Parts: sequence; structure tokens; C-alpha cells
Amino acid sequence: MLLKKLFRTLWQYKAQFISMVIMVALGVGVFLGFNVEWYSLEVNTKEIYDATGFADYRIYSDRGFSPQDLEAVKAIDGVSDATRFLSINVSVKDDTDTLALTVSENSAVSGVLVMAGEPYNAEDPDGFWLSDSYAAANGIALGQPLTLTYQTLSISGTVKGLVKSSEYLICLPDSTQMMPDYSTYGFVYISPVMLDGAIPALYRALIGSLYHQINVKSSLDKPAFVEAADRALGTTRLILSRDETVSWAEAQGEVNEGKTMASILPVLFLAIAILTMVTTMHRICASEKTQIGTFKALGFKDRRILIHYSAYALIIGLIGTLLGIGIGYGLGWFIMNPDGAMATYIDMPSWTLYAPAFTWLVLLGIIAFLMFIGFLSVRKMLRGTAADALRPYSPRRMKHLRFEETKRFKRLGFGTKWNLRDCVRHKARSLMTLIGVVGCMVLLVGGLGMKDTMDAFLDIFYEKAINYTTRVNLDAENMTLAEGKALAESLEGDWAASRAVQIGDRGYSLEIYSVSHDLVRFVDQDMRIIPLTDDGAYICSRIARDFHLKPGDELSFSPYDSTEHYTVPVAGVLDSMTEGIFMTAAFADKAGISYQISSVFTDSQAVPDHPRILNQQSKRSIMDSFDVFMDLMNKMIWLLVIAAVILGIVVLYNLGVMSYTERYREMATLKVVGFQDSRIGRLLISQNLWLTVLGIFIGMPAGVGVLQYLLTALASEYELKLVLGPATWLVSVLLTFGVSLVVGLMVARKNRHIDMVAALKTAE
Amino acid sequence: MAIVEFRDVSRVYRNGEHEQRALDHVNLSLEEGKFIVILGPSGAGKSTLLNMLGGLDSPTEGTIIVNGKDISTLTPNELAEYRAASVGFVFQSYNLIPTLTVIENVALVKEIAPNPLSSHEMLRAVGLEDHIHQFPSELSGGEQQRVSIARALAKNPHILLCDEPTGALDSETGVLVLKLLLSMARDMGKTIIIVTHNQNIAKMADVVIRVKNGKIRSCEEQAHPLAVEEVDW
Repeated sequence: MLLKKLFRTLWQYKAQFISMVIMVALGVGVFLGFNVEWYSLEVNTKEIYDATGFADYRIYSDRGFSPQDLEAVKAIDGVSDATRFLSINVSVKDDTDTLALTVSENSAVSGVLVMAGEPYNAEDPDGFWLSDSYAAANGIALGQPLTLTYQTLSISGTVKGLVKSSEYLICLPDSTQMMPDYSTYGFVYISPVMLDGAIPALYRALIGSLYHQINVKSSLDKPAFVEAADRALGTTRLILSRDETVSWAEAQGEVNEGKTMASILPVLFLAIAILTMVTTMHRICASEKTQIGTFKALGFKDRRILIHYSAYALIIGLIGTLLGIGIGYGLGWFIMNPDGAMATYIDMPSWTLYAPAFTWLVLLGIIAFLMFIGFLSVRKMLRGTAADALRPYSPRRMKHLRFEETKRFKRLGFGTKWNLRDCVRHKARSLMTLIGVVGCMVLLVGGLGMKDTMDAFLDIFYEKAINYTTRVNLDAENMTLAEGKALAESLEGDWAASRAVQIGDRGYSLEIYSVSHDLVRFVDQDMRIIPLTDDGAYICSRIARDFHLKPGDELSFSPYDSTEHYTVPVAGVLDSMTEGIFMTAAFADKAGISYQISSVFTDSQAVPDHPRILNQQSKRSIMDSFDVFMDLMNKMIWLLVIAAVILGIVVLYNLGVMSYTERYREMATLKVVGFQDSRIGRLLISQNLWLTVLGIFIGMPAGVGVLQYLLTALASEYELKLVLGPATWLVSVLLTFGVSLVVGLMVARKNRHIDMVAALKTAE
Repeated sequence: MAIVEFRDVSRVYRNGEHEQRALDHVNLSLEEGKFIVILGPSGAGKSTLLNMLGGLDSPTEGTIIVNGKDISTLTPNELAEYRAASVGFVFQSYNLIPTLTVIENVALVKEIAPNPLSSHEMLRAVGLEDHIHQFPSELSGGEQQRVSIARALAKNPHILLCDEPTGALDSETGVLVLKLLLSMARDMGKTIIIVTHNQNIAKMADVVIRVKNGKIRSCEEQAHPLAVEEVDW
């Protein structure tokens, strides 16, 4: 019998139950979704790291490594495996595409995972194991012949396998590119045998070892490994740990970004869901008080009644959680699927969704907590004797408030007084309405503000800072400074030189610029374009933050592969895509830093054929890759806007109905006295609108705060400055206000159906 | 002169196939300035009659004329205007707004009534001038009912409709309230209509209407109604 009552009561309070189920489902969905996103990424990337032997350390040398060097590294205690490794950008013959030609002597380290075709063969004389994503983007099939060129050399063979590699998990040609573009850039593995065959003996004799890198699997920490490697090799080398590689750092950045998102948005949604549950369950139990008393009077034990009413909360918790699991996995799939947003960035073989174990415990905790809320709400109504329980629930008695003594209050109209006192009397309901509005506003400001921030970031870094049409990359190792300057002169371009340096034990890029044609520009921390002066070095914000440096301080660094050591004044701090040190060529000359020109930036339409030009990159191709990035961003923002609107509607409607129910009798009285429906409706809406205006005012700084928190959490990936455009404010305010007004009107329409006679017959 | 006329008024409530005739072809004419009591057992139709008269409900058939105006065909908004201008209500359970003080509860009718009276005056008339800044929950039942009467009177209505106005009060407080209502009729010329099942109240009425099964069983004028003090409570 009680079961029948349970379902009938669920139906009777269907609006409230549906609201609570939606809120729980949203909270659980967002919580699970973001956790599924980062954890799936972590598990799936680990699979490919393990399958392809992703290296823990990379030792670099301009002169290359001999087999003896490799053996010395392998002999280090704590090194489990190592390989000599080569990665060099080559051109695809008769095409403008670039491929990272890769050779790993020991395929157990930094090797490949074959997705189709023949297994990788380290003895194969003419086989290409090509990136499957590049092959798909360019319509290249297994068995197809391919010729690659590097300067005057060419390597020909057939595509024998389509592969993925953790070394190219995020396949970017350089740090100016944000998103991979497999239609123009990919990677290809060949065997050491094929490499040997492709390089003429004379050339090999001249340049020594081709392998400029040793990749190492080791459990040592970086300082210990660096010390051991330097001792084993007899000199200081540039050594980068996996944290300093794009494939690891960016993927981990995505994981951390997911963790950050999973720690902010779900908290907001779950907190609102739980608060909605508290206020609504209390209200339902208050409405049911005489029935609760009747059960008690009939002889039902308190325990039975508690179980019966707690079951309502359990049902809400279970249905909400089940729906939330569906939403969570849906959200996870939306971000993490082989054809989805993340797949345009990370080149993984498997996109299986996983939820971290703790999420299931949290979900059980949420269900238990919701049940506990139900339990507490009923227990409150069961207090005292059966006669006490039989008495209808009476809301808190009105007390005079301090502000009522003011003349201004006394001059207020009755509607204003009525609403003001009602807000104070039903504090929980008013607070929940406020939180709902603030939540809606925070999501809108946060979501749309993120878009503004990214738009401004792209505008300043790419539209304004990149003022050239073409970047020409040069073979710096094989050309003199004078040759480079002559080439830059002929192209009427600005130029840059790049060197790997270390500050402490961390590797950075030193970028030396000569800007005379305003083709390359620099951005300060206030997102203004500034010229570089010849007074010192400029550092990126991340270096300034990590090493506590500011303009006027001294910065010490040393280039790898050399015994040089430089201490220079910091002239300024820049926001930059590249994590590095920047200076003018004039200052570098003054400081005695040697360099070779590695890139020329030009507006020249016709770049001549030149043996030292490796490749060219157009501004257009860089910008195109952002479209994919922005598309991803826009989808996320749409999701946030939809979530904000749903949250706003559900919370405000639920509370609006609750307010309507609680004031039903008062409204019936007003109606009897002679107030018209429209007037009563306006009274109801005005309270909602006050709270909305207050919520908007609180939501504005709260939204900025949440956005700033997100940007700070993302600071290791991008140097983003918070930007909020007037359109974002306008849309956020109007949408929040609109949601509140529409919900207010929906609730206010109900007062037409007030049964004056029935309402006034009931006992107070 | 008749202030109220019911002409063949019926009110039928339908719930699926079930039909309940709360008022059954009622004809009635009431004079202005009288103290009228409608008597009857529970479910007789007396409250329905009062609700029709107060514009809280509309008849299924028939016509209700109040002050020469047919109220049976008014729209919901016109009925609201009618309630605001012509009738005052006093309920068994007071129905005050708990978030407004005594004076605010009475003064709120100024927002809608075309010719409202002074709230302070009305509260003085019901003897609550010292309680005007208190909330309803700070008053006794009798005091709350007096506020309710003051609010009804503040609209300056022609008719005061009272549904079991003493039902929730002890006899002593009930007498006070009835005295007050009676003085409204005698001193202010208001038409007071009280619905009750308390036979004693009928003894002080100018007119006693008995209702049973939705029909008027009798409508008697009493030439010599008793004073409140003369009634054995």
C-alpha cells in the first residue's frame, strides 16, 4: 500500500521531482563527464606510451652519438633500455608537405605501433612505416611508392605499414602551430638499414654519426640522470625529460586541464543539485506533514515512516545518477572519440572511455547523501508526539527586521514589503534562487569569456604578432651567418636564430631576432605590441613566474653542447607561445652569444630555390590550424551555454513552483480581497527579478573569478590574459535575465488557477 | 430596497460522471443594512451561497444581482473589481498575510479599493489601535479575526460576508467579534451576512435563512432580534 502511495506522491510532486532528477543528472553528468575525459586520456595515452616504448629522457648532440656513447648510456644504473634516434624534417617529393623522418635503432624504445600493413622490420631496406593519420589525410595507401628529399639527398621506397608513435602523439612541426595538420605534416619511420643505404658513404664519413639523439628508458629522476649521463658521456649535454616534450607535456596538459575542469564545474552543479534537494525535500516533507502525522497516529513506527519518505530521495538519487552516468559518458564521448574534438589534437590508437574508480565511490556517496537529506527532512517532521506530527507545518514566525524601522522602508508599497519579508522569511528558497542565477551567470561569463580570451589571444599572437606571409626555415647547421643574412636581405625579411639553452636544469629555447621590416612583433604582459630593445633579454611569463624574475633582474643561462655561460639583464617579460628567452641580434652580439640564422620571415611572394632552404610555412597554414582549435572551443562553449540555461530554468522553475505553493494561500487571500491575476503575477515575478538582478551582480565577479582560476590552471600551456568583451556581458546578462523572466512568467500564469475557496478553507 | 437578489441560481460541481448540486434553483432577496444569518448543516450549500455572492464562484444557472448589477456573467477581472469595491470577507481562519503587519494587512486594500476608509480608523473601530505594528502571528485568534474585519471594512464595502467568523474562537472572544459585526450593521449601515451552523447567532439576526440540500428552506425576518448580551452562549 505504501508503495502505491510512494508512486502517487511522486506523481503529485512531479515538477519538483523532475527538477531534482534533472539537477542530480546534470551534476553527476558533468562530474563524471570531465573525469571520464581526463582519465580516458590518461589510460589511452599510457597504452600507446607503453606499446611504443616512449622514452623517459632524450640526450641531444649536434655532433651525433656513436655506438660507444649508446653503450655508455645503457650501462648507467637505472637505465633499462636506450636507442640512438634520428628525427629530421624532410620534404615529400613533388609536394609541399613535410614529414619527420624518424629512425630508432632499437624499436623497443621510441618505436611504432602498427595499425595496418607489415610489422615494423629493422632490417627492411626500402619500407616506409608512415603515420596513418597523414596517410588518411593525403589518400596514401599501403604499397604506394614514396620519395622523400632532404637537401640534395632523396630516399625512395614503398609504404609497408601505417603506424602511430607516442613520440608524435601531438604531431606539430614547431611551437607556433597549435593544432596538428596531417594534410601537410606527419611522420614516417624507416629502418636503420634503409637510412644507411640512403646516405652516401663519403657524406657519412664527413658528418660522423647521423643519430643526434639517444632516447632512454630510465627510472632515475632528472638531476640523477643528468649527472649520470654527463659522467657517462664525458660532457654536458642537452637532456630533456619526457615532461619537456610536446607529446608528453601537451597530453598531460590536457589531462590536467580535464582535472581542473572536473574540479570546478561539477562542484558548482553538484552543490546546486544538493541545495535544490535540501530545499525541495524539506518543502515536500512539510506539505506531507499531516500525512506523516496520520501514519504515526495510525501506529506506524517512526523507522517505517523514515524509510518510506527517504525512499523518495533514494529514487531521485538513483534515477538522477543513472541519467547522469549516461550524460557523463555522452560528454566524455563527445570530447574523447576517434572522430571528435580531441582526436584532431592527439593521435591515439584507442579511444576507450574509462571512469576513475573514485568517481563510482563519489556517485555512491551522492546517492547516500541525497537519501540522508530526505531522512533528515522527514525526521524533522516526525519530532514530538503523534499529535505534534499531525499539526500542519507552520513556517517560521515573522519577526521585525532592523531595516523596517527606517523611514524609507515605511514608504515602500505593500508589494515590496511583502516580497522583502518573504525573501527573509524563506531564506533557503531565496538563497537557492540566488545561487541558481549566480550559477547560470558564472557559466555564461566563464564560457563566453573563455571564447573572448582565446579570440584576443589568437588576434594578438597570430593576426598582429605574425606580420609576415611566409616563414622560411633554413638549414642553420650548414650555412654561415653571412649567408643567412644575405638570404634574409634578398627576401626583404626579418630573421631569427634559435639555440637550445638551459636555466638551472631545465631546457628552453633562446630566440635571437633581427627585426627591421616590422614582420615579427612581440607582445607584453598587457597584450600590447612592443619593440625589443637592445638593453637586455626578454623572458616569457612562464620563465618569469617559475624563476621569480622581473625586469632589472639578472638571468643566467648556458647553451647546451658548450661550456659558455651568460648572465644578462632582464629587459622585459613577454607573453609568448614559445617558452623561451628572446633578444635582439644587437644585444646577442654585445653579450658575445654566437648563433646561426634558422628562420627568415618575409612578405615576398616568390621565395627562390636555395639549397639551404629546408621548407616554408605560410601564415595561412598556421591560421588554418586554429580553425580546428576554435571549432573545438566553440562546441565546448555551446555546451556550457546550454548547461547554463538548463541550470537556470530548472533551478528557477523548481523554486518558483515552491514559492507559488508556499504563498498559495496568501495569493488566494489577495485574490479574494480583489487583486487581479495580473497584479498578483507581477508581485510574484518582481521577487524573482530582484533576486535575478542581485544574482547577476554577484555572478559577474564570480564568473570572472572562475574564468581567472581556469586561466591560471591553464597557464602552463598558454599564456592567456583574461578578456571579456561587451557582447559577453550583454549576452550573459540578457540570457540570465531572460531565463528568469520566462520562468517567472510561467509560474505567474499559474495564479489564474488558484482555487480561492479551497485555499481559504484550509487551516493556517 | 433589495441589495442582493438570487434568481433561480444553481451551482453544480462535476467530477467525472459524478455530479453534485450544491445550490438548487435558489431564489432570494435581501435588504440593505440588515444583519443576516444563513444557517444550515455541513454540506447544505450555505458557503457556496456566500461564495457566489462574494464573486469567488459563478453560478451554473441563474442570475445574481448585487446593488442592481448582474455579477453572474462577469469575467474574472470584473469579478476581482467587484470584490475590491463591493464586498468584504471575513473567514473562519482569518486569512491574513503573515508577512505584513496589522496596519499593512488593512492598508493593502488601498491598493485596489476605489473608496477605501482610513486603516487607522478601522483598527481603532475594532479596538486594535495599540497593535498596529505587530505581525498576525503575534496576535491571539480573536485579535486576528478583528484585523480581518478591519481589513474587510477598510474597503468600505456595501456587504460584509462572514464565513463562520467565530468558528475558531472561544465563546468570550466570539461574542466580542459578533458585537463588532452587529455594530457595523447598526451604526454603519452595512449589510452583514454571516454563514454559520451556530443556532445561537441566529437569535440576534434581522433575517434568518435556513438552507438544506442546496435549497432555501425558510427565510424569516425577526422583528425583535436579541442583543448579543441577551443570547445564551
